[in-house]
Amino acid sequence: MLSDQQLVRRVAAEDEDAFRDLYDRYADRVFRYGLTLLRNRHLAEEAAQEAMIAVWKSARRFEGRSKVSTWVFGIARNKALDLIRREKRGDRVPDVSLVTPDPAPTLRKQELVQHALGELPESQREVVFLTFYEGLSYGEISGILGIPEGTVKSRMFHAKRRLAEVLS
Amino acid sequence: MSDCVRIRELIAWYATGSLSRAESTEVTAHLASCEGCREELAATLQLKVGVESEVRRMPRLPESAWKRVVASVRGRPIAQIDVGSFLLGFTLGARVRRGGVPVYGDMRLLGRKIRLFNVEKEEGE
Repeated sequence: MLSDQQLVRRVAAEDEDAFRDLYDRYADRVFRYGLTLLRNRHLAEEAAQEAMIAVWKSARRFEGRSKVSTWVFGIARNKALDLIRREKRGDRVPDVSLVTPDPAPTLRKQELVQHALGELPESQREVVFLTFYEGLSYGEISGILGIPEGTVKSRMFHAKRRLAEVLS
Repeated sequence: MSDCVRIRELIAWYATGSLSRAESTEVTAHLASCEGCREELAATLQLKVGVESEVRRMPRLPESAWKRVVASVRGRPIAQIDVGSFLLGFTLGARVRRGGVPVYGDMRLLGRKIRLFNVEKEEGE
């Protein structure tokens, strides 16, 4: 199996098979990152598509100095923020049904986590997503968000405190 | 106590295994002697599980998205000449897509497409 870096090199040479492989590895993750930021399924879908198109177009400029995941999530974030800017914030209606309802009645704890995450400002929510779901280091997150490492740690600190308050 | 402040700053990334080896060793050593930070780690691990579970329940990107993406990157063909067969052949073509008009040449060898060149003329040039 090819590494991410090898795939990007092939995508840079316009290899559509390699692009499909890269898409399969990242499109869904990028979509979920978009959902985390935008809280709207249609906008997140649009952001994911635009991000993957940008990955195709800019693969030739990827120099391999960062991990492919960091590069892809950076592009995805820019696309999501572009959409936020395009849409008037007040006009966006957040999807309340972002997750598939589970018929089990014992999901109270999970509902609380969902509610607690939704209560966080997006700047903290994305740090929580990139840390706990994507497993990125604070240095990588700092690179994606373009903020100092100390700010990443501080956002995580505040996010955890708010989550603990809601979940307690 | 100042140690605890620093350790608690790092503990989320300790829980995901994404700290440097030196930082990870430092946190492990501190945890051995600090019950408060061990409790903080346990709470962080619970939160990690909750977030992972929450994100996994989110919908998946529909397959139709791939069709739109690939249509956008390929563009609309405006001319194409094929010679040879599926196993060995050549293609010369041009497409229109957002941002440019690429002219490309491909070789097919044993069913695999190899791009020989791609020259893109920007719209408006």
